[in-house]
Amino acid sequence: MMPAVLAEAPQLLIALEQSGLATAIRQSTWAYPAANVGHILALTVFAGAVTVMDARLLGAFAAAPPASVVRPARRAAMLGLLAMLATGFVLFAAEASHVAMNRVFQIKMALVGLGVLNAVLVGRALVAALDGMPAFAPMPARIRLAAFASLAIWLSVAACGRLIAYF
Amino acid sequence: MRRLLLGLALASLPAVAALAHHGWGSYDAAKPVTVAGPIETLKYENPHATLTVKAADKVWTVTLAPVSRMQARGAPPELVAVGKTVSAYGYPSTVEKDEMRAERITVDGKTVEMR
Repeated sequence: MMPAVLAEAPQLLIALEQSGLATAIRQSTWAYPAANVGHILALTVFAGAVTVMDARLLGAFAAAPPASVVRPARRAAMLGLLAMLATGFVLFAAEASHVAMNRVFQIKMALVGLGVLNAVLVGRALVAALDGMPAFAPMPARIRLAAFASLAIWLSVAACGRLIAYF
Repeated sequence: MRRLLLGLALASLPAVAALAHHGWGSYDAAKPVTVAGPIETLKYENPHATLTVKAADKVWTVTLAPVSRMQARGAPPELVAVGKTVSAYGYPSTVEKDEMRAERITVDGKTVEMR
Protein backbone atom coordinates (compact mmCIF):
# COMPACT_ATOMS: atom_id res chain seq x y z
CA MET A 1 0.00 0.00 0.00
CA MET A 2 1.38 3.38 -0.97
CA PRO A 3 1.69 5.87 1.85
CA ALA A 4 0.13 8.73 -0.09
CA VAL A 5 -3.50 9.12 -1.07
CA LEU A 6 -4.46 8.42 -4.64
CA ALA A 7 -4.82 11.85 -6.21
CA GLU A 8 -7.39 10.82 -8.85
CA ALA A 9 -9.88 9.68 -6.19
CA PRO A 10 -12.88 11.92 -5.41
CA GLN A 11 -12.04 14.79 -3.01
CA LEU A 12 -14.58 13.57 -0.47
CA LEU A 13 -12.83 10.19 -0.17
CA ILE A 14 -9.38 11.78 0.03
CA ALA A 15 -10.75 13.91 2.89
CA LEU A 16 -12.14 10.76 4.53
CA GLU A 17 -8.78 8.99 4.31
CA GLN A 18 -7.02 12.03 5.76
CA SER A 19 -9.59 12.52 8.55
CA GLY A 20 -8.72 12.06 12.21
CA LEU A 21 -10.96 9.00 12.37
CA ALA A 22 -9.23 7.22 9.47
CA THR A 23 -5.81 8.13 10.84
CA ALA A 24 -6.78 6.73 14.24
CA ILE A 25 -7.92 3.49 12.56
CA ARG A 26 -4.57 3.14 10.75
CA GLN A 27 -2.48 4.01 13.78
CA SER A 28 -4.30 1.69 16.16
CA THR A 29 -2.71 -1.75 16.39
CA TRP A 30 -6.04 -3.55 16.73
CA ALA A 31 -8.80 -1.42 15.13
CA TYR A 32 -8.07 -2.60 11.58
CA PRO A 33 -7.62 -6.32 12.32
CA ALA A 34 -10.64 -6.21 14.68
CA ALA A 35 -12.80 -4.69 11.93
CA ASN A 36 -11.45 -7.31 9.53
CA VAL A 37 -12.43 -10.16 11.87
CA GLY A 38 -15.78 -8.49 12.59
CA HIS A 39 -16.47 -8.15 8.88
CA ILE A 40 -15.95 -11.88 8.33
CA LEU A 41 -18.00 -12.87 11.40
CA ALA A 42 -20.82 -10.61 10.21
CA LEU A 43 -20.49 -12.23 6.79
CA THR A 44 -21.06 -15.69 8.25
CA VAL A 45 -24.26 -14.47 9.97
CA PHE A 46 -25.42 -12.64 6.85
CA ALA A 47 -24.57 -15.37 4.35
CA GLY A 48 -26.04 -18.07 6.59
CA ALA A 49 -29.32 -16.19 7.01
CA VAL A 50 -29.54 -15.29 3.31
CA THR A 51 -28.86 -18.89 2.28
CA VAL A 52 -31.54 -20.30 4.62
CA MET A 53 -34.03 -17.67 3.46
CA ASP A 54 -33.36 -18.10 -0.24
CA ALA A 55 -33.18 -21.90 0.03
CA ARG A 56 -36.70 -21.90 1.55
CA LEU A 57 -37.94 -19.59 -1.22
CA LEU A 58 -36.40 -21.95 -3.79
CA GLY A 59 -38.35 -24.86 -2.27
CA ALA A 60 -36.01 -26.40 0.33
CA PHE A 61 -37.21 -27.18 3.92
CA ALA A 62 -40.70 -27.56 2.41
CA ALA A 63 -42.14 -29.07 5.61
CA ALA A 64 -41.88 -25.65 7.31
CA PRO A 65 -44.46 -22.99 6.39
CA PRO A 66 -42.41 -20.48 4.35
CA ALA A 67 -43.10 -17.40 6.48
CA SER A 68 -41.90 -19.25 9.61
CA VAL A 69 -38.45 -19.63 8.02
CA VAL A 70 -38.19 -16.54 5.85
CA ARG A 71 -39.23 -13.87 8.36
CA PRO A 72 -36.71 -14.66 11.12
CA ALA A 73 -33.99 -15.38 8.55
CA ARG A 74 -34.65 -12.01 6.94
CA ARG A 75 -34.28 -10.24 10.30
CA ALA A 76 -30.98 -12.04 10.96
CA ALA A 77 -29.79 -11.08 7.48
CA MET A 78 -30.62 -7.41 8.15
CA LEU A 79 -28.60 -7.50 11.39
CA GLY A 80 -25.69 -9.19 9.61
CA LEU A 81 -25.83 -6.60 6.82
CA LEU A 82 -25.76 -3.70 9.31
CA ALA A 83 -22.72 -5.22 11.04
CA MET A 84 -21.06 -5.67 7.64
CA LEU A 85 -21.69 -2.02 6.76
CA ALA A 86 -20.24 -0.80 10.08
CA THR A 87 -17.10 -2.96 9.96
CA GLY A 88 -16.74 -2.42 6.21
CA PHE A 89 -16.75 1.33 6.72
CA VAL A 90 -13.79 1.06 9.13
CA LEU A 91 -11.81 -0.97 6.57
CA PHE A 92 -12.78 1.41 3.78
CA ALA A 93 -12.00 4.63 5.64
CA ALA A 94 -8.41 3.54 6.37
CA GLU A 95 -7.51 3.54 2.66
CA ALA A 96 -10.54 5.13 1.02
CA SER A 97 -8.80 6.76 -1.95
CA HIS A 98 -7.11 3.54 -3.06
CA VAL A 99 -10.01 1.18 -2.40
CA ALA A 100 -12.55 3.44 -4.10
CA MET A 101 -10.55 3.37 -7.35
CA ASN A 102 -10.22 -0.43 -7.23
CA ARG A 103 -12.29 -1.93 -10.06
CA VAL A 104 -13.33 -5.00 -8.05
CA PHE A 105 -14.44 -2.81 -5.13
CA GLN A 106 -16.54 -0.71 -7.54
CA ILE A 107 -18.18 -3.86 -8.89
CA LYS A 108 -18.76 -5.07 -5.34
CA MET A 109 -20.50 -1.83 -4.33
CA ALA A 110 -22.69 -1.91 -7.43
CA LEU A 111 -23.68 -5.48 -6.54
CA VAL A 112 -24.39 -4.49 -2.91
CA GLY A 113 -26.71 -1.77 -4.25
CA LEU A 114 -28.41 -4.30 -6.50
CA GLY A 115 -28.73 -6.80 -3.63
CA VAL A 116 -30.26 -4.25 -1.27
CA LEU A 117 -32.62 -3.07 -4.00
CA ASN A 118 -33.70 -6.67 -4.65
CA ALA A 119 -34.19 -7.29 -0.92
CA VAL A 120 -36.15 -4.10 -0.26
CA LEU A 121 -38.23 -3.61 -3.41
CA VAL A 122 -38.80 -7.17 -4.63
CA GLY A 123 -38.21 -9.06 -1.38
CA ARG A 124 -40.56 -7.08 0.84
CA ALA A 125 -43.57 -7.57 -1.46
CA LEU A 126 -42.79 -11.26 -1.88
CA VAL A 127 -42.40 -11.90 1.83
CA ALA A 128 -45.80 -10.31 2.44
CA ALA A 129 -47.24 -12.81 -0.04
CA LEU A 130 -45.87 -15.69 2.07
CA ASP A 131 -48.17 -15.02 5.04
CA GLY A 132 -50.64 -17.83 5.44
CA MET A 133 -48.95 -19.96 2.79
CA PRO A 134 -48.93 -23.55 4.15
CA ALA A 135 -46.07 -26.05 4.28
CA PHE A 136 -45.38 -27.87 0.99
CA ALA A 137 -47.13 -25.16 -1.07
CA PRO A 138 -45.35 -24.79 -4.41
CA MET A 139 -43.38 -21.55 -4.69
CA PRO A 140 -44.49 -19.18 -7.47
CA ALA A 141 -41.88 -18.68 -10.20
CA ARG A 142 -41.40 -14.96 -9.44
CA ILE A 143 -40.47 -15.80 -5.84
CA ARG A 144 -37.97 -18.45 -6.95
CA LEU A 145 -36.47 -16.01 -9.43
CA ALA A 146 -36.00 -13.30 -6.79
CA ALA A 147 -34.44 -15.84 -4.40
CA PHE A 148 -32.06 -17.06 -7.07
CA ALA A 149 -31.09 -13.47 -7.90
CA SER A 150 -30.49 -12.78 -4.21
CA LEU A 151 -28.19 -15.81 -3.80
CA ALA A 152 -26.28 -15.05 -7.00
CA ILE A 153 -25.81 -11.37 -6.09
CA TRP A 154 -24.67 -11.94 -2.50
CA LEU A 155 -22.29 -14.78 -3.33
CA SER A 156 -20.78 -12.55 -6.02
CA VAL A 157 -20.43 -9.76 -3.46
CA ALA A 158 -18.53 -12.13 -1.15
CA ALA A 159 -16.23 -13.24 -3.98
CA CYS A 160 -15.54 -9.62 -4.99
CA GLY A 161 -14.78 -8.71 -1.38
CA ARG A 162 -12.14 -11.40 -1.20
CA LEU A 163 -10.67 -10.39 -4.55
CA ILE A 164 -10.17 -6.67 -3.87
CA ALA A 165 -6.66 -7.37 -2.54
CA TYR A 166 -5.58 -8.95 -5.84
CA PHE A 167 -6.48 -6.20 -8.29
CA MET B 1 -31.97 -27.42 -5.40
CA ARG B 2 -29.00 -29.48 -4.15
CA ARG B 3 -27.32 -29.24 -7.53
CA LEU B 4 -27.85 -25.47 -7.52
CA LEU B 5 -26.28 -25.02 -4.08
CA LEU B 6 -23.36 -27.26 -5.01
CA GLY B 7 -22.81 -25.23 -8.18
CA LEU B 8 -22.81 -21.96 -6.23
CA ALA B 9 -20.42 -23.40 -3.66
CA LEU B 10 -18.04 -24.52 -6.41
CA ALA B 11 -18.29 -21.12 -8.10
CA SER B 12 -17.05 -19.44 -4.91
CA LEU B 13 -14.00 -21.73 -4.54
CA PRO B 14 -11.47 -19.58 -6.46
CA ALA B 15 -11.97 -16.80 -3.90
CA VAL B 16 -11.18 -19.23 -1.08
CA ALA B 17 -8.04 -20.53 -2.80
CA ALA B 18 -6.83 -16.94 -3.25
CA LEU B 19 -6.85 -16.44 0.54
CA ALA B 20 -3.55 -18.28 0.83
CA HIS B 21 -1.44 -15.49 -0.64
CA HIS B 22 -3.06 -12.25 0.31
CA GLY B 23 -1.69 -9.21 -1.39
CA TRP B 24 1.55 -10.58 -2.88
CA GLY B 25 0.09 -10.94 -6.38
CA SER B 26 1.04 -7.49 -7.66
CA TYR B 27 4.75 -7.93 -6.83
CA ASP B 28 7.28 -9.51 -9.19
CA ALA B 29 8.90 -12.37 -7.26
CA ALA B 30 11.07 -13.16 -10.29
CA LYS B 31 12.98 -9.89 -9.86
CA PRO B 32 13.94 -9.63 -6.18
CA VAL B 33 15.70 -6.43 -5.12
CA THR B 34 17.62 -5.39 -2.04
CA VAL B 35 16.92 -1.79 -1.04
CA ALA B 36 19.52 -0.43 1.36
CA GLY B 37 19.91 3.04 2.81
CA PRO B 38 18.71 5.47 5.45
CA ILE B 39 15.02 5.50 6.42
CA GLU B 40 13.52 8.84 5.38
CA THR B 41 9.91 8.38 6.52
CA LEU B 42 8.05 5.79 8.57
CA LYS B 43 4.33 5.10 8.62
CA TYR B 44 3.77 2.58 11.38
CA GLU B 45 0.16 2.04 10.35
CA ASN B 46 -2.34 -0.61 9.28
CA PRO B 47 -3.00 -2.39 7.00
CA HIS B 48 0.78 -2.36 6.36
CA ALA B 49 3.63 -0.32 7.77
CA THR B 50 5.61 1.53 5.08
CA LEU B 51 9.02 3.15 4.87
CA THR B 52 10.63 5.39 2.34
CA VAL B 53 14.28 4.50 1.96
CA LYS B 54 16.92 6.57 0.18
CA ALA B 55 18.79 3.89 -1.75
CA ALA B 56 21.70 4.46 -4.12
CA ASP B 57 19.46 4.52 -7.21
CA LYS B 58 16.30 6.25 -5.95
CA VAL B 59 13.91 6.68 -3.05
CA TRP B 60 11.94 3.46 -2.60
CA THR B 61 8.64 2.98 -0.83
CA VAL B 62 9.06 -0.23 1.14
CA THR B 63 5.87 -1.99 2.19
CA LEU B 64 6.26 -4.01 5.38
CA ALA B 65 3.82 -6.13 7.42
CA PRO B 66 0.68 -5.28 9.44
CA VAL B 67 1.47 -3.45 12.70
CA SER B 68 0.57 -6.32 15.05
CA ARG B 69 2.82 -8.74 13.14
CA MET B 70 5.70 -6.27 13.16
CA GLN B 71 5.38 -5.99 16.94
CA ALA B 72 5.02 -9.73 17.44
CA ARG B 73 8.21 -10.37 15.48
CA GLY B 74 10.29 -7.81 17.29
CA ALA B 75 10.08 -4.85 14.92
CA PRO B 76 8.52 -2.03 17.00
CA PRO B 77 8.50 1.52 15.58
CA GLU B 78 11.82 2.26 17.33
CA LEU B 79 13.58 -0.44 15.28
CA VAL B 80 12.59 1.15 11.96
CA ALA B 81 12.83 4.78 13.10
CA VAL B 82 13.67 7.59 10.68
CA GLY B 83 17.43 7.96 10.25
CA LYS B 84 18.29 4.30 10.81
CA THR B 85 19.90 2.29 8.03
CA VAL B 86 17.80 -0.57 6.71
CA SER B 87 18.36 -3.31 4.20
CA ALA B 88 15.12 -4.67 2.75
CA TYR B 89 15.00 -7.76 0.54
CA GLY B 90 11.79 -8.05 -1.46
CA TYR B 91 9.97 -7.71 -4.73
CA PRO B 92 9.18 -4.65 -6.84
CA SER B 93 5.55 -3.71 -7.42
CA THR B 94 4.17 -4.32 -10.88
CA VAL B 95 1.62 -1.54 -10.27
CA GLU B 96 3.11 1.26 -8.16
CA LYS B 97 6.29 2.97 -9.32
CA ASP B 98 9.31 2.71 -6.96
CA GLU B 99 7.42 0.53 -4.47
CA MET B 100 8.57 -2.84 -3.21
CA ARG B 101 7.20 -5.35 -0.73
CA ALA B 102 9.76 -6.58 1.77
CA GLU B 103 10.15 -10.29 2.41
CA ARG B 104 12.56 -9.48 5.24
CA ILE B 105 14.36 -6.48 6.61
CA THR B 106 17.65 -6.10 8.47
CA VAL B 107 18.20 -3.21 10.90
CA ASP B 108 20.87 -2.97 13.63
CA GLY B 109 22.09 -6.44 12.66
CA LYS B 110 18.62 -7.88 13.35
CA THR B 111 16.68 -9.62 10.56
CA VAL B 112 12.89 -9.74 10.75
CA GLU B 113 10.66 -11.75 8.43
CA MET B 114 7.67 -9.82 7.08
CA ARG B 115 5.63 -12.69 5.59
